[in-house]
Amino acid sequence: MSGMEREDDFQARRARLRKLSDQELYDKFWSLVDKIVAPLIEEACSHTTPSIERSVLLRMGFSSLECRDLVARMQERGLLGHGAGRLVLELSTLKGISTREAGAALLEGRYWEELPL
Amino acid sequence: MKLSPDQKLDISDVLKDLDRYRPRRRGWSWRSKLKEHKVGSFIYYDASEDLDHSVPLPAAQAFDDIDPQCDMMITTEIASGRFEDDLRRMRMAAWHGADHIMVIRTTGQSHFDGLIEGTPEGIGGIPVTRKQLRATRKALDAIEDEVGRPINFHSYVSGLAGPEMAVLFAEEGVNGAHQDPQYNVLYRDINMHRSFVDAAEAKCILGDGGILQLDGAHNANATAKQAWKVTPELLVQHAVNTGYSRAVGMPPDLIALSTVPPTAPPAPKLRLDLPYAVALRDLFQGYRFRAQQNTRYMESDTEEATVTHVLDTLISRLTSADIQSTITPDEGRNIPWHYNNVAGVNAARQVLMGVDGLKQMIDLKQDGPLSEQAREIKERAVLFLEEILEGGGYYAAVEAGQFVDQGYYPERKGDGIVRDAAGGDGAASVLAREADYGAPVCSHFGHNVYATETGKPCDQYGGCSLCDSGKIQYIDELDAEDNVDKRLAQPLAERARGVLRPEVEKHGDGVVCVTLFVPERPQLAEAAALEMARYMGLDKPEVINRRLMHPAEGSVFEIKGTLAVAVSIDALPVEEKQALLGDDEIEAWVRGRDIHLVAATVGEDEHSVGLHEILDIKHGGIERYGFHCHDLGTSVSVEQLLDVAEQAGASAILASIIVTHADVHMKHMRRLHALARQRGLRRRLVLVVGGTRITDKLARECGMDAGFGHGTTGRNVASFLVRKLRDMNLS
Repeated sequence: MSGMEREDDFQARRARLRKLSDQELYDKFWSLVDKIVAPLIEEACSHTTPSIERSVLLRMGFSSLECRDLVARMQERGLLGHGAGRLVLELSTLKGISTREAGAALLEGRYWEELPL
Repeated sequence: MKLSPDQKLDISDVLKDLDRYRPRRRGWSWRSKLKEHKVGSFIYYDASEDLDHSVPLPAAQAFDDIDPQCDMMITTEIASGRFEDDLRRMRMAAWHGADHIMVIRTTGQSHFDGLIEGTPEGIGGIPVTRKQLRATRKALDAIEDEVGRPINFHSYVSGLAGPEMAVLFAEEGVNGAHQDPQYNVLYRDINMHRSFVDAAEAKCILGDGGILQLDGAHNANATAKQAWKVTPELLVQHAVNTGYSRAVGMPPDLIALSTVPPTAPPAPKLRLDLPYAVALRDLFQGYRFRAQQNTRYMESDTEEATVTHVLDTLISRLTSADIQSTITPDEGRNIPWHYNNVAGVNAARQVLMGVDGLKQMIDLKQDGPLSEQAREIKERAVLFLEEILEGGGYYAAVEAGQFVDQGYYPERKGDGIVRDAAGGDGAASVLAREADYGAPVCSHFGHNVYATETGKPCDQYGGCSLCDSGKIQYIDELDAEDNVDKRLAQPLAERARGVLRPEVEKHGDGVVCVTLFVPERPQLAEAAALEMARYMGLDKPEVINRRLMHPAEGSVFEIKGTLAVAVSIDALPVEEKQALLGDDEIEAWVRGRDIHLVAATVGEDEHSVGLHEILDIKHGGIERYGFHCHDLGTSVSVEQLLDVAEQAGASAILASIIVTHADVHMKHMRRLHALARQRGLRRRLVLVVGGTRITDKLARECGMDAGFGHGTTGRNVASFLVRKLRDMNLS
């Protein structure tokens, strides 16, 4: 329960909205929405989550089980902020192996110390 | 895989080679709308292309069996728990006009942090997995070929694994998805930061994949006690998801609002719901509307639910909707039964065909209470948005319980849903991207070192799975016990043995429903009804609907129970059906023989539609083979029929007879036979009767040569006549 209670004071509050045309009310509605959404989008641009990182590895050709294990291990090591896909891709470049081979090696516990950060 | 209308869907065929199955198209498909479309005797103005195969509405039998299709897509929601049973339900619904199949997920999948594989059984829905998606999409490919219209497959991209689910949907050709982070926050208590960050990635993938997104705002009216009071907030919830989706880059025609008329009679439904529907469409021009039917006030009475859903659908036509969703009329009392999916779909298409062209005749008034109330709801929504910003933004507003409060905003009752921005499932799982953060894949949202002006982020390693489906890793099953093969063992064995059981939900579940009226006061009547159901042999009888007719005179009950009886197909008496003669063979024999027939509707009956369909050349009737038909019309006596037959030297009489109480129809048939014999005509005069409830057996018992029931065509009758007359000529 939020505890916040208030009588319906719509008639008093609407006074300043009444003079707006329908178009002006429409514009006001969407400008408020944009302001509410902006910080949420900003956070999404600059942050990631385990599910996003698993979805990246999924797109790189790993199975859901491999994605789960790779992301969990990267998270344990505090590496996820670099991007799971980036770690795998850069390791494959460094070692001259395919991305799947790089992922498989990490799952076998190899190359973790050599990840190019 | 190809389906044949007279063959069951072969689940083994569906499951074969799924590892190699690829979807044949991606993204959403709309119906092909037609502005003026002639079907049978009518022109339709809100129609779409006809189907190749379908089951027409029941009354179509009086209108040349036409099956016009409405312009809106029709949704059915499927929630059996076993996808292998869902497929048959989808096929039945598609034959009745559904082309948006929404599969409900199993309870708890929202909280599963990752993907599920294989085909485990679900509760109230199915675990959405790659194998299940493939099998379903593969079956829907075949079903859409059978009915002749694209079918959209839809499920949910919410919960803790939204981005992964979105990738899965894009890879596997899923066409539509629910995606709304507010649903996670308010109804699943999933951490709000996690929900919104995940949602941006998921929306980016859905948008690029052409997958239609539905929002989750309608859940507020399903939750609120007085659903019509949350209308200002509904506009806000739609707007937050829509604004967020646009900011991510999703095109507007892939953003659909899931909207429900909030009330049900005895509330003055249209007076309350129409202003809201108008306000919503004013503010969200350019987006798509998925009109859902009301579930908030559904009780166990399926007829009551249907009437509410009819009014909901009328609101869709009076305003606008791209998709008309349907709710099964039994959702208020149990997990929907498959034939009730069909009932829901039929109610919507019956309404939409019935109100075709309505907006050519009536307009919603632009002045007066409708526009005043619509304006008021919009102003209340603007005030709601202002308070979100004044309080510190969306997260702070949720923490302050501003959402799903029962007050008519700005009224606040203090009972809104409160969530902690630092709490909930998946809390503290959001992390900042480092400066060198990278995701070398397509459809990725936000900061990414691999995002360049030229080329794709996945070019460096030969393309991601969205560009090259060969990269997808398919997992078949992980659980040796809980999987589709184990579940199918018994049903497939029973099918092979030719054993049948009744069912409502899952293959051969044995569930039946009986309706009983008991003339006693409610409690006593209910106890008696249950006892009677036990006498009928029903195991675990349970009252699923009770309706009082009068406190003392009685109540009617619907009782479900399990019938533990399996019937062997081999033991059933089946009428021998003779193959029909070909059109050419019939015509070749009839033409030149100068065969006269006398036809009429017998007795006190003004129905003539059925007989015309059998006779008239334009309905494909028997005239086209060269028979000379003397149609005497309706309410003709048996004597008149025989008089004309005698004068014309007719070879046969075709009598249309309606089945009545007191068995008048049987008396007519017996009399026709007896009089014909008295007059010495019977040996050379073939007597045929027809009518919707006539059977061949009944007709023969009453002295006729043949009887034809519902679904008979001219060819059926002509084929019989030619065989019979040929035999008589030989003898």
